[in-house]
This record gives sequence, structure tokens and C-alpha cells, in this order.
Amino acid sequence: MTSLEIRDLGVVFSGKEILSGLNLNVSSGSYAAILGPSGCGKTTLLRSIAGLITPASGTIRFGKQLVSVSSLVLPPHKRNIGYVPQEGGLFPHLTVGDNVGFALSRDLDKEEKSSIVDEMLKLVGLEGFNSRRPHQLSGGQQTRVALARALAMKPAMVLLDEPFAALDQTLRTEISEEVVALLKATKTTTIMVTHDREDALVSADLIALMRSGQVVQSGAPTQVYSAPISAEVAQSTGDIVTLPAYMSADQRIYSPLHSSSSNFDPNGELLIRPEEIHISAVSQPAGKNQVKAAISKINYYGHDALIELKLEGWELPLRARVTGNIDFRLGQAVYAELQGPLRWVPRKATHQ
Amino acid sequence: MPQELLERNTAALRKIGTLQYFLYLASLLAVLCAALPLAYLLNRATSSDADSISTVLLRAKSINVLVTTLTLTAVVTLGAVLVGVVLAWILNHVSIRNMTAWRAATVIPIAIPSYVFTYCWMTLNPGLRGFWAATLVLILSTAPFVTLATLAALRRVDWSQYEVAQTLGLNPLKTFFKITVPQIRNQVAAGALLVALYVLSDFGAVALLGVDTFTRAISNLYRGSFDRSTAAVLSLLLVAISAVIISLESRVRSDSEARRASTKIVAEIKPFHSAKLRLVSYLFLATYVSLSLALPLMLLMSRFISNQVELDFAGLTSATFNTVSAAAIGAVIAVSIALPVGVLLQQGSRLAKLADASVLVVHSLPGIVMGLALVALGSQVGWLYQTLGLLAFSYALLFMAKGVGSVRTALAKVPTNLLEISTTLGQNKVQTIRRVAIPLAAPGILSGTLLIFLAAMKELPATLMLRPTGFETLATEIWNYTSISRFSEAAPYALTLVLVAAIPTFLINRPDRSENARESS
Repeated sequence: MTSLEIRDLGVVFSGKEILSGLNLNVSSGSYAAILGPSGCGKTTLLRSIAGLITPASGTIRFGKQLVSVSSLVLPPHKRNIGYVPQEGGLFPHLTVGDNVGFALSRDLDKEEKSSIVDEMLKLVGLEGFNSRRPHQLSGGQQTRVALARALAMKPAMVLLDEPFAALDQTLRTEISEEVVALLKATKTTTIMVTHDREDALVSADLIALMRSGQVVQSGAPTQVYSAPISAEVAQSTGDIVTLPAYMSADQRIYSPLHSSSSNFDPNGELLIRPEEIHISAVSQPAGKNQVKAAISKINYYGHDALIELKLEGWELPLRARVTGNIDFRLGQAVYAELQGPLRWVPRKATHQ
Repeated sequence: MPQELLERNTAALRKIGTLQYFLYLASLLAVLCAALPLAYLLNRATSSDADSISTVLLRAKSINVLVTTLTLTAVVTLGAVLVGVVLAWILNHVSIRNMTAWRAATVIPIAIPSYVFTYCWMTLNPGLRGFWAATLVLILSTAPFVTLATLAALRRVDWSQYEVAQTLGLNPLKTFFKITVPQIRNQVAAGALLVALYVLSDFGAVALLGVDTFTRAISNLYRGSFDRSTAAVLSLLLVAISAVIISLESRVRSDSEARRASTKIVAEIKPFHSAKLRLVSYLFLATYVSLSLALPLMLLMSRFISNQVELDFAGLTSATFNTVSAAAIGAVIAVSIALPVGVLLQQGSRLAKLADASVLVVHSLPGIVMGLALVALGSQVGWLYQTLGLLAFSYALLFMAKGVGSVRTALAKVPTNLLEISTTLGQNKVQTIRRVAIPLAAPGILSGTLLIFLAAMKELPATLMLRPTGFETLATEIWNYTSISRFSEAAPYALTLVLVAAIPTFLINRPDRSENARESS
């Protein structure tokens, strides 16, 4: 197991900067998720870590060992990393057992090899699948075999590229849980690339959010969710509402949700998660920051609902997440209240 | 720390370097081998003075030969492409009963040597002579080259693309031209090239049907034996023509070699069931198979049965054994050189491209020219002369192009991501080539080997010149009997040759397993 440290990484493809000035730290044994929209360069980052592409600048370290200094790179076969690409990438000409044993040293004798293979298959819950062929497996089984193949070589680090993207929703939850539990139990340093925020939030100890070739924020899931540095970043971990706001020199916030502040000149925005907006049909005397609003739309999801509101006196939309019994109707006048942290970000940060 | 990294790196690079060095060496060897007959021709041609060369070239007869050769090549190639693509399309897209049998039957005609094929047709219709007769015979016997190449390409076109195209308002014909053609173009072009080079170098059909092409003119000149320099000049002209055709083919080949990045599932083909289409398809298949396979086989059978002379079993057995062993050695030599060239070609190396082009040029040489070149070599190196080794080497030289082509397409089919995964699993470049690329490309490489084996078994002119004394093959025995008009006695040898050659043909055509498995999803 090893830690990963990336400093100032830059990758250029045919004159175009794919990654630039990227920094990332992953401590030994932790599970990191690189989360970002398609085209942000997350797969390129993973391939740089694997040594499959040569960066233009920057350094990559595995623990203390330098594996990449600008365009000087250690070739992939010397890095001891377990790479699980999208769709598993099993060798179609080999059986499941031979796939898993692919990276095992030729110095091992047959029995040692087969016992490692058996152990790995058992680990991923595919005991006795040794003689099957890759095309006889389902998508989820292929992913698990690919993982077993990567783990068999006792890698310093495992790299997963959208490992669950090909699976349907029910299978996905089940398999991702199994795989994550497995990797965590073996204390394997894992870097997973995904565009699915739930995958990232559920599984990772560390989330690195990527935007146009850079890691814009990284931290524990709860931290990146609750303390986003910009509206855009906040969007990548969940639903977000922005409202114009003013922060005074003494750090007091004025916004449409603050009943006392009717007139202010916004110098930033307030980032609000819909579940932090509480609405009720009746005014609650204790709530200082209660404002009047009208329901303009109801998106019902079953377990909860997103209710769109128009704040009285403001032509601004606001969304509230309501769980449990949802007994609101369209056009109803309600009282909205912010029950959460005040996340004020200056104007500029939102246009990054 | 960077210092240490640098050292590790150069060590790794040096290892890759050794492989590269070997690949270059093998490609260089291929170029040198191909240069051998060409050097011989140049040497011969320059030994006559410039005046006599220009007289040869400007003679009205030479111009005629040139025009005939070019027209025949163009018409046959066009015809074979039409027939071959239609056959492949039917076999791939129409719901046909006994598909496997039809597939085999449409491809097996390449197992029949053109001299046997032509001779069968001539027994049927003794008046058959001339340009159009040769065109018909050659189209029928070369169409399978196109069918084989196109079948392989069609199998890999994702069916969902057809469906999408049709929902976008394209009719089946437009779909074929807009969706299918661009994706099979490279393979069809490769098949067409094989046909064109076959026609350029073919001797049997044109000799028997009396069409004056370069091959016939060259061998007539050699037979006359006093004028080898003129023959060499004509051979070089032939080389120039094939060089032009080869460069034409590489232009048709699209730059973006379709290389699959990953192992995505390809939607299964849903064949057409329309009754009208099926009827037309059956008619087309039946016509082709009866003209190119059933008829000649039946003729050979009837000749065989009506044969009064007692069959020389020992002779037949030894001729079969000789044919198979010489062809097998040739195929193995050819593939051992073609494999590294193909690997290097995949990397886009210029040396490999040169090697590819030169083996293709040599492929268009008539067997008689190769025979003479190697006889000349044998006369310099005494211990080589009239050995099985030299005969096998001539096969390797003549047909190596088929091997290089097969290796190239087979390697192009190996998904790049599997090669990358192998390197992340700690395998260096050599190990990756050995453990992933070669096994995955194996069916294609094997097909290439079988194609060489097949062509070598049918080869006649070079075999006649280079075989060790007393070494009879099936081809030479057929020639021995037919040249003294004992057709019926030739029939058993011809039948045996067709049967033996049908085995590799059948194996090549067998839908290979990895293709069936659709790789891993």
C-alpha cells in the first residue's frame, strides 16, 4: 500500500491542454474518488497515474518513490498498480483463472499460482469460476474478475475507471458495495474515477472534484458536500440553489431569505442545499428568518419531493426538499426558512 | 531521486530497444529477400544494351501485351469485387439455410489451381479461348479472395448502426453505401489487390486460353531461351505495373485504420428474411457455386472414373506428401518473416511499409521469374541448387505478402486497451506481444499461414524449375500428364490437389471462435 502525491501535473494532447497544474494527495490505504463531468480529464489523470501516458510537466510520487518527473516516466509495467478499466478489459483468449493469474510471476510453481487465483476469486465472490470464459460472465462478474486480476499482483494501488458505469441500477449498488468493502478491508489505496456523485459519496474517504483539467476541491465527502467553494463545485456533489447575497464588512449576511434585508447590493451568492430549506403552511413565531413564498412547481420522486418556490417580492426561484408526507399543492402560500449553514461565496468564484 | 528514475527508465527503454532492433532486422531481411529476384531482373535487363530494350518496349506487340494485361487485370478485379462483395453480403445478411455449407462452397474455388480450372472448362467447351473466356475463368476463381476479406469485415460492423441509419430515413441500399462501404472499404481493397496481383502473375489460365499477357509473353521468351534480357525487361515492366497498383490500393485504404479501442459489445446481425431477396440470393449462390466448384469437380470426377490406366498409388501418395511438405515449410518461413514485419507495420514504421510494398511487388512476379531468379542464385551457391529448402524459400518469397497482410489486419483487431492492461499488470512490451497480442491475433495469423500454404500447393512454374531431381508434386504431375494430353491420368492428381487444398480453405473460412464469442463484452 502506498500513498499518492501529484504536484502540478500537466498533460498536453496535440497542442491541447488536458490537465494543467493538477494537485492531488491520497494517503496510504484510503479510497479516493475523482468526480467530474465527462471531458474534464479524469480518465487522463488515471492513465497518467498508471503510466499509460506521458505528462508534459509535474511530478507523481508513489509514497516516497518518484514515478513521473515532467516527461520522464516509469513505464506502467514497473509501477505495480492494479488498473481496472471500463468494462473490465478481460483477455478474451484466457479463462477466468488465467486472467486472474496473468500477472503472477513465472517463478511461482503451479500450485502456488492456482492457490493465489482461488483465493482471489473467493475474495470477489466468484469461487469455482476458474475455467469459465470472459464472454460467459455478466457485466458485474467481469468487473469483479478484473478486480481479482488486479489484486492478485498485490498492487501498491488500485485504479478503477468508471467501474460500475456499465451495470444497471440495482446491480450497481450491490456490486459497488461489495467491491468497496473488499478494497477497504484489504486496505488497498484506491483511486476511482467516476461521473456519478452517488458512487463517489457512498464509497470514498476522499473526493477530488475535477473541472477542466484541475482538481478544484478535495476532501472528505461530508466536507466537499457541506462546504463547497463555489456553486459549480457544489453542483457536482448534489443539488444546489444560489441566491444573491451581500456580506458586510462585519460578516453579516443579507439575502432574500433574511426577512430583515429588503434592500442590499449583492456582492456574492449564498449556496443552499434544497434540504436546508424548510417550508411550512403556517408561520412559526420563533423563526426570525422566515420569508413568504408561493409554490410554483412540485417534482414528486416518491421518497421525497422537490418543491419550487417563488419568494415574495423577489422574482427568484428557490427549491426545497421535502420528505415524509407531502401535502402541499401548486400555488399554495407557504413560509420558507433556511435551517443550515450560511455559505457565502464572492461573485467571482461562481464564474470560474 | 530523479537520477534513480532516469536509470530505471533507460533500463526499460533498452529492453524495448532490443525488441525493436529485432523487428527492424526482420523487416530488413524481408526487404532483402524481396530484392533478390528484383536484383536478378535488373542485372539481366541491364546486360542488354539500351537500344534493344527500347526496341522491345516499343514493339507493337509489347504495347498490345501491355494493353491486354492492364484491361484483363482491371476487368477481372472489378468483376471479382462485384461478385465477391455480393456473395459476402448475402452470406452475412440474408437468412440462408445451411449457411456453413454455402460459406465453404463459395470459398473453396480458390483451392482449384487456375490451370486445372481452365482445363476443366476447356474440356467442357473446347472452343473456349481468348480474352473474355480468361476474364470469366479468372473472375470465378478469384472472387473468393474478395469474399473472404469482405466477410471478415462485415462481421465486425455493428448491426445497431444499420438500425440507426434506417431510423434516420436511409433505405437499405443507401445504408449499404453510406454505412457499410466505408467500414469494409479497406478489406475489400486488400482483397481486390490480391485479385489484381493474382491476375498479373497467373500463368495457367492465360496460357491455356491463349491470351497474350505479360506472364505468357515472358515465359514464351524464356522458353525461346535465347532472349532472357528482353524477358527481364518485360518482367521489370510488370513489377512497375504492380507497384502502381499497390500504391493505388494504399490510397484507397483510409488513413484512419479502424482500430477498436475497447471490447464493446457489437450488436448481433439480424438477417433479412424477405422471400424475394432470399430467392435471388439462392439463385446467385447456386449459379456461382455450380460454375466455379460443382462443374469442375464433376468433370474431374468423370475423367477420374473413365480413366482406364491403373492408378499409381505410390506416386500419388509421394506427390501428395511432397506437395504438403514443401508448401508447409514455405508457409512457415513466410510467416516467421511476415510476423515481425506485421508487428512493425502496426507501429507505422517506414521500413515496415517498404518491406510490405516490396513483398507485394514480388507477389506479382510470375512464378517463372522467381524460378529463374532462384536458379541463378542456386548456380552461385551450389549447395542450395535443387534443394527442398530453395523450393520452399521460393514459395515463401512469392506468397509472403499474404502473410504480412493477414498479420497486419489480425493485429489491428486487437483492442488497444487490452495491451495497456497487460502493461499495467507488470508485463513489458515483449511479454505483452507474446501473451496478449499474438494469441488474440492467432486466428488471423493462422489464416494467413493457410493462405500461403494453399497458394504454395497450387504453384506450378517455380516448382517445375526449382524442385530437386525426381521430386514430383501434385502440380508437376498434373502438368506432366496434361502436357502430353493424358488428361484422364492427370485427373486423380488434380482431384487430390483440390481435396487437399480444400482443407486449409475450409479452415480459413471457418467462422473463428473469438469472432463468434464476440470477444468479451
